[in-house]
Amino acid sequence: MKFFCVPCVLPRVPCGEKKHHKEHEEEHKGHKGFLNLLECSPKIRNMISTTANIDNKLPDITDKKRAFKAIVDCNSFYCSCERLFKPHLLKQPVVVLSNNDGCIVSRSDEAKKFGVAMAGPYFQAQHLIQKHNISVFSSNYNLYGDLSWRVMETLRTLSPSVEVYSVDEAFLDLSGIPEKELSDYALHIRQTVEQWTGISVSVGLASTKTLCKVANHIAKKNKNASNCVTTLTTAAEEREALEHTRVNGIWGVGNSYAEKLINLGITNAWQLRNMPAEWAHRNLGGVVGVRLIKELNGEPCIEMNEQLDSKKMIATTRMFGSPVTDINDIKEAIATYTSRAAEKLRRQKSAANVISVFVVPKGQDHTADFRHGSTVSQYAVLPIATSITNELIKPAVGLIEQLYKNGTSYKKAGVMLSGLVPDSSIQANLFSPESKNAGRLLMDMIDNVNFSMRDDVLKFAASGTDRDWKMRQELRSGRYTTRWEGMFEVK
Amino acid sequence: MEIEQYFGAGYKGSKSFNQWDVQTANATGFGAAADDYMERGIDLNEQLIRNKPATFFMRVSGDAMIGAGIFNGDIVIVDRSVKPVSGKIVIAILNGEMLIRRLEKTFNKLRLIPETNKLAPIEVDMSGGNEFAIWGVVTYTIHSV
Repeated sequence: MKFFCVPCVLPRVPCGEKKHHKEHEEEHKGHKGFLNLLECSPKIRNMISTTANIDNKLPDITDKKRAFKAIVDCNSFYCSCERLFKPHLLKQPVVVLSNNDGCIVSRSDEAKKFGVAMAGPYFQAQHLIQKHNISVFSSNYNLYGDLSWRVMETLRTLSPSVEVYSVDEAFLDLSGIPEKELSDYALHIRQTVEQWTGISVSVGLASTKTLCKVANHIAKKNKNASNCVTTLTTAAEEREALEHTRVNGIWGVGNSYAEKLINLGITNAWQLRNMPAEWAHRNLGGVVGVRLIKELNGEPCIEMNEQLDSKKMIATTRMFGSPVTDINDIKEAIATYTSRAAEKLRRQKSAANVISVFVVPKGQDHTADFRHGSTVSQYAVLPIATSITNELIKPAVGLIEQLYKNGTSYKKAGVMLSGLVPDSSIQANLFSPESKNAGRLLMDMIDNVNFSMRDDVLKFAASGTDRDWKMRQELRSGRYTTRWEGMFEVK
Repeated sequence: MEIEQYFGAGYKGSKSFNQWDVQTANATGFGAAADDYMERGIDLNEQLIRNKPATFFMRVSGDAMIGAGIFNGDIVIVDRSVKPVSGKIVIAILNGEMLIRRLEKTFNKLRLIPETNKLAPIEVDMSGGNEFAIWGVVTYTIHSV
């Protein structure tokens, strides 16, 4: 038998003699495990022997006290939010549609069972929806946003460090919890979130973020068996979980890499974990690949990141409720999106140097109605970075006038602000008027009024008043948690 | 209310006050002493919301609870983290419907009692005949006079 020390990939044990093997073991005491070369596919064997000469020093982590993390992921989040105030739907199939009722963005387990496709166009699933009496909702982001905040706030009482990863996922630092209490604590997290907010969650607990994701995936796959909680605290549990995870299900492995790995004979996460770091450096996109292997080996490389980074680019894009041909309507839409984007810009205290505008004409192919035509876009560099709405609307409307072609009908439009700089460090231009303070104060005032009164009560006239082009949201439920007038009624 | 009745200890009402929210007493002379005793004012959230992420507002429609001082159109504050013990007014889910009633638990019975003689108490069949759950516990009611 030929053995390889995995961390140092030294091909120095060519024979099967036990004595030599023992020596090698002595030499690399503390390193993690040996890879049996005979069990590898021939391709991997070749790869190891080619990379074997490189010197490699990985830190020894076996003796360190292990710290654990967990990911908490809401189960079919948007559907759970809809069900909270509609208990008669608890065990019924439910789907939630995207903005403008275009695609299906969330499905309950019952709807998945009937074969409703994720991100599939709504009209394609309509026969399934009617056949199985599936409840359909337009997205109600006011409700989802509020419930997301509640889930995260609950998690903050359960861990000193919470990284909000998306609207329905968060990483928790559990390094303070004794190892033998971890699985109880994971269950406690799940139950507390469910009790307080009414949103059911799945918890995956392990020593690294990547392993947490693997655990979470397993918890979700069979909710009855796992009780929505999976913990990977021992080596045996890790191995079992990784062996049952296909490479395309690993966090951070994209489709193209998954295909490449499968072609090389690496089909599950356990095989990938046992690959040497040098190999990953060469074949899996350098440092990122090495990090992935280390994470799978239980060595944390992706740290908790609590701070929200300010965005490098801000975009507001929407589909029109129905195709629009009139340039005035499109101008109104663009002005509205620009106001929205500028508001987001000011909220993160930035100013933009570049504004770009794009429109998507309605596709010519009428049989495939959901297909877009090709995007047409145009950008302008602003004379000075700004976050003031009227200074952004003017160039945006100018750009749309250049883009618009008479007689074409458009499906979608958008505004993008880029070249963002901090608000405080705007470079003065010799020819620009002296101080913009008045404009900035006006914007603060408008933002405050709109934030407290809601529904954009103050807006620029360019945004129009009728909004014929606005989104379709025909099946939206009430804003139960954010509006006095939309409050849930109980008998 | 005893703190043991809550599932968690974390108070999440409105403690995000800081020193800058407290105004200084703008007074001179004798009144200047008031500045030493300045404190922040009464905040309704602090009293009415014990656990913010678990607290929801609902509007009552109907006369089911008028005996308990909850009238048609009143707003009730519902805390999902409070334990639903016998005697509490709760929001219950019965066969897919949300109801506001007083919960009565005895050793072998569970009843939802209305506070009006126009409605009858509902006995919950715990052997599986009814789909039953407690949504949350009512902690306060807001009534306009």
